[in-house]
Amino acid sequence: MRDFFLLMPEILLATTLAFVVASEITYFGEQVRLITATSVLGLAGAFVQTIISYKYGPTQIFGGVLSIDGFSLFFKLLFILLALFSIASMSHTKVIRVENRIEFCALILAGTLSMCLVASATDVLLAFLSLLFLNVISYFLSAYGKHSVLSTEAAIKYLAFGTVSITLLLYSFSILFALTKSLNIYEMHKGLISNPLSPNVMLIAFMLSFLGLSFQLGAFPMYLIVPDVLEGSPTPISAFLSLGTRAAGFAFVIRFLIVVFAQPSLNAGQWQVLGQVDWTEIISVIAGLTMLIGSLLAFRQTAAKRLVGYLVIAQTGFLLIGLLVLDEVGIAAILYNLVIELFALMGSFFILSVFMDELKSDQLADLKGMLKRSVPECICLVLFLLSLVGSPPMPGFIGKFTLIGVAIRHQRMALAAVGVFSMVISTVAVARLAFQLMGDFQKSTQPPLSSNILRKVFLAALVIPMALVGIFADWVFHWAGQSLGFIFW
Amino acid sequence: MNNHLISYMVFLPFFGALLQAFVSMTRSRWIALAASLAASACAIVLVVSMQIQTSDFQQMESLPWVGSYAISYDMAIDGLNVLMVLLVAILFPVLIASEWNQKVGVRGMHGLFLVLQTSLFGVVCAQDLFLQFFFWGLSALPFYFLVGIWGGEGREKAAFRSIVAASLGDALIFSALVLVYYSVDPHSFSLKELAGGRLAGKMFDFLGYELPVSGVAFILMSAGLSLRAPIWPFHGWFTEVAQEAPSSVFVALCAGSVPVALYIFVRVCYLLFPETLSIAGKIIVAVGATNLVMGGVCAVAQKGLRRLLAFICLSEVGFVLTGIGSLNSVGVVGAVYQQLIFGLGLAGFGLFSGVISERTGSTVFLAEDGERTFGGIATRAPWISVVAGVVVASLLGFPGFGGFVGHALVIIGSYSIHPFTVVVSGGALLLASYYLFAMYRSVFLGKPGVGSHPFEDLTFREQAYMFPVVLSLLFFGLYPKPLIELIRPAVLTVLSAVK
Repeated sequence: MRDFFLLMPEILLATTLAFVVASEITYFGEQVRLITATSVLGLAGAFVQTIISYKYGPTQIFGGVLSIDGFSLFFKLLFILLALFSIASMSHTKVIRVENRIEFCALILAGTLSMCLVASATDVLLAFLSLLFLNVISYFLSAYGKHSVLSTEAAIKYLAFGTVSITLLLYSFSILFALTKSLNIYEMHKGLISNPLSPNVMLIAFMLSFLGLSFQLGAFPMYLIVPDVLEGSPTPISAFLSLGTRAAGFAFVIRFLIVVFAQPSLNAGQWQVLGQVDWTEIISVIAGLTMLIGSLLAFRQTAAKRLVGYLVIAQTGFLLIGLLVLDEVGIAAILYNLVIELFALMGSFFILSVFMDELKSDQLADLKGMLKRSVPECICLVLFLLSLVGSPPMPGFIGKFTLIGVAIRHQRMALAAVGVFSMVISTVAVARLAFQLMGDFQKSTQPPLSSNILRKVFLAALVIPMALVGIFADWVFHWAGQSLGFIFW
Repeated sequence: MNNHLISYMVFLPFFGALLQAFVSMTRSRWIALAASLAASACAIVLVVSMQIQTSDFQQMESLPWVGSYAISYDMAIDGLNVLMVLLVAILFPVLIASEWNQKVGVRGMHGLFLVLQTSLFGVVCAQDLFLQFFFWGLSALPFYFLVGIWGGEGREKAAFRSIVAASLGDALIFSALVLVYYSVDPHSFSLKELAGGRLAGKMFDFLGYELPVSGVAFILMSAGLSLRAPIWPFHGWFTEVAQEAPSSVFVALCAGSVPVALYIFVRVCYLLFPETLSIAGKIIVAVGATNLVMGGVCAVAQKGLRRLLAFICLSEVGFVLTGIGSLNSVGVVGAVYQQLIFGLGLAGFGLFSGVISERTGSTVFLAEDGERTFGGIATRAPWISVVAGVVVASLLGFPGFGGFVGHALVIIGSYSIHPFTVVVSGGALLLASYYLFAMYRSVFLGKPGVGSHPFEDLTFREQAYMFPVVLSLLFFGLYPKPLIELIRPAVLTVLSAVK
């Protein structure tokens, strides 16, 4: 019974999903609002339930298949908030038509359910199935703009890449299972310690799993798909995909790599590589390349959504720094950055979707002069993007500081230098976008965008918490640190 | 004694900026001015209530911010930053008043000025490296928007170059900061804890090379700041901004941000890297002298007031640097004092050239063929000519004006160490008197030039905002003693670590 109680957030999400799907068949017309409200209530219930779960301490349920600990609860809260914001942003956009909103809610709920499962899975089979579930939902979501060629193309590419990467992941899991006779990652760890693998097998197992997972993260070899997907998907969905799938990927990557391929080191709060293959060096190269590619290509883009897409890739590179140092401080920094990204990405894609409804284009040239037409939206967009890239006065800067700081602490000077360089290029890329927004401010005579009080409330609901995360950064770090306290061993 | 006066001073403009964005245009201007003036009033109270003859931090405010990284909200004033507080306090209400009748987006412009005021006050008062950098990063963004929105025809390039220079500079400073932070144990950003040669002898490993922390951090820091203050040959963005930005914005840059950048250099380098500084002193003087000469030579060739102002700023920065590098109490006191004075002088210059630009639509005083385009303004508009005269006299360091004290102290200070720089500075001052008087003659004296317009004298509003600048130039020139007494103990303390 206790196991079911601790699984309550997922159960609530699943029930709400079932209700929404059932009502999609039976209801139509005016009842759409009712169903949106139901989804929101379901998510809110799951949110509260997740907070309640904190009281029941770190524990494993269903025979060690799922782990309910600070780490998984942190990610569950993040995903549920993301889903709430996505559903709230849905009503402000014209891309998702009223009659399609129920479908949208259903997909978002299903996506959230799968991400929550990924975050707490400690069994590779369950993790594989939940990732697959998440990927399938993501294909649907990216193909949501049925009438758009770009959307269809993005979904096909996404499907192709996704299938390959999930297969690679399955190979890696099979190797590990064959050698350790276990599906649980903690059991695997014990197996690997008592029965070390030869370096070659270890390298292959690691490379296969990391290649598979780098698709989820949008890291170096598999990054090609990210900008296409983010550009092709309807803009409100881009926010959900850009953060949701990546954060779920990070939740699993951190747990999986640190439990299976590392062991606690003599220094408290740190780990060391298990076996003879130093995979942190591999990730360090990948992180550097991802940051460079993301920021340099972002600088060259001519379309706003692709630009943000490449910035997201650069962010992934940054977050990988937090992982490869094998230090609790680094992982806490990843969590902090993900909280910032929640507001920054949601906000930037939301404003871009408002602009795209008006302009029917996201080309930088078409965005020219938007500042005069809608001052608050443009200011918020610039603030969100600067926060995303970590420009100094923004809350995101504290996140970047912690990541670069942890790299320097572990003597990875070159990586830190690449990180700082990538920050500069990303800032300049954002400045290019900002300049287009300013346009010919003094002479512009285009009509202002219709003002909408709900939109401003929604923006305030993103900007104010983001600022608070910066001002009370210490509390967020504390929370992130607490989340790690009992997760791994 | 803790009355949070510094916090009020720093954050009042920011809240003013938020508030004025939500009210109608007629009211917003008054709110902006009131917020700026209130902050300046706090600043004046702070300066007046300072104790002399002590180098301790005063009005200290301390609050943990990000405890897990030992970042705290430490604010205080002492002899090194008190003059910068004064400069920012005088400057920003004046700038807001000078853009009173801005037709396009007046709320945005005033809001950005207020944010800038907050950030510069913050940089100046922060005693925690991270906090200081935080405000310093904030100060780069308003310029980008001020130039990008209200700039002239070539604003795209100017804004872009300024943001590239600023983000590159900030990145370098940031690297220096993180390096310093992680090389001391326990990790700390507090200037007080890092002071006194804590970094001496520390090494770090970069791609297999052993490098000294202090030296590398010093180089990164100075390189980063030289991209925010105009140092030859990295001044391209600066002259570009001078050409395109509205005069008030350029005043905020050359009279606000540039002296503050020099202040950071003095504060951070003297406290953190004393042993490197004793070697690098000569290099700083050499860079300063080069700047002085290049600024002067380029200024001679200018035919427009905007670029002329940029090159005067360049040479004044060079002058201050020779003082900073002299490692001598008189020279450094002079350099600190001159930071305030040249800020005020350049502000005055920028303001009267702004008035001329507003009246005539141009700031080019000599046409391509050497024919004067203005001329004879003095007879039609005596007030503005007097203001310009005072400003020019102070920039040249005439006795009785602010510039005299600063120039004299710097030259006396550097004479005992580097006699050659005295020759260079003297030459540069002579050159300055040539180009400034040539400018004054062709703009204000003589007969009206070709195509000159009827020229109204300063209105009451313009007189009102010119007044504080002119008054302080005269006052600080005639009676520098109280301010010198404020800075001297602090300078002696930081210098004692270098020797």
